Amino acid sequence: MINLDEFVSFIEDNFDLVSGVPCSYFKEFLSYIPSQEDKSPIKHLSATREDEAIAIAIGAALSKKRALVYMQNSGLGNIGDALTSLVQLYKLPILILVSYRGLKEDNDFPEHSIMGKINNSFLGSLNLLYWDLNEKDWEVSMQKAITVMDEQSSPVVLMVKKGVLSQ
Amino acid sequence: MKGYEVISSLQDHIGENDLIVSSNGNISREVYHYLAKPQVYLRGSMGLPIGVGLGLAVMNPEKRVTVITGDGNLLMGFGSVITAAYYKPHNLKILILDNSQYFTTGGQQTVSSAINFSKFLESLNIDYFQSLKASQSILDDNLENFLTTQGLNILHLIIEEGKRELANIPWHPIKIAENFLQRFD
Repeated sequence: MINLDEFVSFIEDNFDLVSGVPCSYFKEFLSYIPSQEDKSPIKHLSATREDEAIAIAIGAALSKKRALVYMQNSGLGNIGDALTSLVQLYKLPILILVSYRGLKEDNDFPEHSIMGKINNSFLGSLNLLYWDLNEKDWEVSMQKAITVMDEQSSPVVLMVKKGVLSQ
Repeated sequence: MKGYEVISSLQDHIGENDLIVSSNGNISREVYHYLAKPQVYLRGSMGLPIGVGLGLAVMNPEKRVTVITGDGNLLMGFGSVITAAYYKPHNLKILILDNSQYFTTGGQQTVSSAINFSKFLESLNIDYFQSLKASQSILDDNLENFLTTQGLNILHLIIEEGKRELANIPWHPIKIAENFLQRFD
């Protein structure tokens, strides 16, 4: 697992707002993200749906603030219109952390099996730039994501496998 | 009273400190034509204007953010009303223009009339709410309070169907975003 003190402090240094829908793969990470009530340089808003989280992030992006969204890959199914008719149409930058469910660790969770298989082709069909967030070189991946989203004014997805942001 | 008449009545209330998010279809077109530019004119994004307004409001506490949405759009992203009510940004105002129709797509009926808006909005424990049938005197009596009461405010107005023929928004969404972003230079 990534050192969460370092990871969250990186997020606080580089982002203004965080929003999303939880996944157990983010359990420890989310326990480190401050809630709205805490005195923190970032705002954290829990969303009812993944597309709502995207919308909240876009509200930040529209005022030159940097936003991070987190969701399970099941949520990719909920954000097609938010991506194509909002984020990509208006050409705005956001970073999306997506937990990679449906790999072999999830054999007992058939609800993730189909999205798990099509995960990459799904991201590809949405023309999304994506790569993995790994324990070892997480800072390089995050820094690259920030550079790409800022320079191209586009969304970037980082796939998060089991054990990277949770036990 | 029709939706575009309500929107044009906002003219006198909207200043440089106001950020508006308008929902796709006729409402965005009317906001573009009747109110000070540039604002966030959503084109697609059905169900998302309240989320966008919430993000803007939380990030810009010194500005006033007003979301103008129709009933069909509201219903598609209904959870966002609850999210907004939970975080209660002091500077977020939500104006719901309810004609019980998907008017932009040809007047198909929505299910909004199943909601008792007065009871629903009361249950949110927000700072200001009203559910009223739109008329000039209703606007005269309520718009100022709706916009200036400190807190999360929601005004639900029953409107008559009807629109003016307005030209499409000439800006591509990329241009809409660029123009709006310049307000933060």
